[in-house]
Amino acid sequence: MLALYKFFRSIRLAVVLILIIAVLSILSTLIPQGRDAAFYFHSYGAFWAQFLLTLDFDDFFRSILFLIPVGLFFINLSVCAVDRFVNRERRKARRRHGPDLIHIGLLLLIIGAMFTVFGRAESLVYMGEGDEIRLKGQYLLRLIDYEYEEYENGRPKDWISTVEVRRNGELLIPSFPIEVNKPLRIGGVRIYQTSFAREDRALLRDQEGDSIPISNGQGFELEGAVVIFRGIEGNTAVFEQWEEHSRTAIYRTGIGETIGEYTVAELGSREVTGLKAVKDPGFIPVVVALIIVAAGLSLTFIQKRKDKDI
Amino acid sequence: MIATIAFGLLIVAAGIQVIYLLRRERKIDPISHFILLAASVLLLGVTVDRSIRIRFVAVTNTFESLVFFSAIIALVLFVYRLRAKEKTIPYINFGATVVAIALLAIASSPIAPNDVVPPIPALQSYWLVLHVTLSFIGESFFVVAFICAIYYLTTRNEERRKSLDRLTYTTIAIGYPIFTAGALIFGAVWAQTAWGTYWSWDPKETWALITWLVYTAYLHTRFVKRFRGKISAILAIVGFAFTMFTFFGVNYLLAGLHSYA
Repeated sequence: MLALYKFFRSIRLAVVLILIIAVLSILSTLIPQGRDAAFYFHSYGAFWAQFLLTLDFDDFFRSILFLIPVGLFFINLSVCAVDRFVNRERRKARRRHGPDLIHIGLLLLIIGAMFTVFGRAESLVYMGEGDEIRLKGQYLLRLIDYEYEEYENGRPKDWISTVEVRRNGELLIPSFPIEVNKPLRIGGVRIYQTSFAREDRALLRDQEGDSIPISNGQGFELEGAVVIFRGIEGNTAVFEQWEEHSRTAIYRTGIGETIGEYTVAELGSREVTGLKAVKDPGFIPVVVALIIVAAGLSLTFIQKRKDKDI
Repeated sequence: MIATIAFGLLIVAAGIQVIYLLRRERKIDPISHFILLAASVLLLGVTVDRSIRIRFVAVTNTFESLVFFSAIIALVLFVYRLRAKEKTIPYINFGATVVAIALLAIASSPIAPNDVVPPIPALQSYWLVLHVTLSFIGESFFVVAFICAIYYLTTRNEERRKSLDRLTYTTIAIGYPIFTAGALIFGAVWAQTAWGTYWSWDPKETWALITWLVYTAYLHTRFVKRFRGKISAILAIVGFAFTMFTFFGVNYLLAGLHSYA
């Protein structure tokens, strides 16, 4: 046990682990991350692709290859932090709390990062003016207005999605402009302005006369196949028919014409805003960790400035 | 135009430094640091002028970042020259001045267009300003550490090596907390505010972390007798090489979120 303690309190081990993590991280940036298996087979050949995929190198920062050195570094850092404290008390040495704070901050940072890795959730929705979405906790978000601003040279200046928030029917926030860099915080969730798009819509009527609105990307079944509404070209709606994983037909259907049991009644398009809802239980611990690290760095710097022997 | 004058001043300063380095009597030149100060003021003037024109702090593209980086290097050298008494000053000042000239030369090349354009929405954040400015201030100290480390590995004079080792450590000890705050802490806060994720393992982020790890390793080598000296100096050089790769190499060789800077 003592031998293990001595092994893990070693600064030499810390330096070696830091350099191992650095070298592995370098390798990760040379291999594109998160691609399909086919990409690796195509780019590196069967042997190396199998090798990379077996080691989870395509998702390196969640792989054992990365998490084991980080785990060892976590133990090393914890033991070093305790050892520093114990030794200082024993020797009645000068108090140097800067590095202690940095080490504690980094430990908390790793814990917070683990919360993020295993607990973070995000969801992207596209909304047009007047659309509503329900969030957890009985919140109802409605898009009041969406605005796109440009500079004179045509570069994007801002995207602003103005929303209202209700909870159980009560108006909580009458108007909040969500902009890039200005997310809305509500019920532990942050809502970000992420993108914008044009959404094509088709109003279909079935044989009973009921209206069915669909947007591009949505579809319906037709004689065992799936038909997807791809958008509007000219005055026609474009549908793709898919069977299993193959596209088997393309239909261009004008207003008043039929596709399967449906008749295209109306076509139209509108601007939609892309809003991303993010819940990250690791963010607060990480912010606290960063503040502790920053305080530790500042303290170390102040103490070092007083030293003449650095 | 102002940046070109500053570039000229840096070349004049380097010229004076070379003349004094080649003279037999080892005297420290009395003027080049004032020229460096003038160049720094002019470059910061470029930043202020562009900031007024784009109505935001002008550190939002490669050209503006390089101008700011060079200005801070020149300023650090001026302050160092005033405060330091070491015999190594002429070599260090010359080496770091050459780095500042090289950075400005890149700023004037086609890879860093100097069009005055206001920032796109993702860049309109004061977290970004803190992220960029503090990163470059920290890296300016790494430039001095880099030159000291090279000099350390090439000289055999023990007294000089001791002084260079101390100066490498001092500059990294100053630059490291500033770089950590700028590149990692404010970078993470900005990413969280802009994209909802404080860390996305984008290649530039990963390389900034790798650079930070190398400097972290450097600082810890000071506590291991076997690692002090040569290994420390090599790490200071590798750290700076990675700093430059993070800034330039990642943009052109690896794709990611930081495609605008």
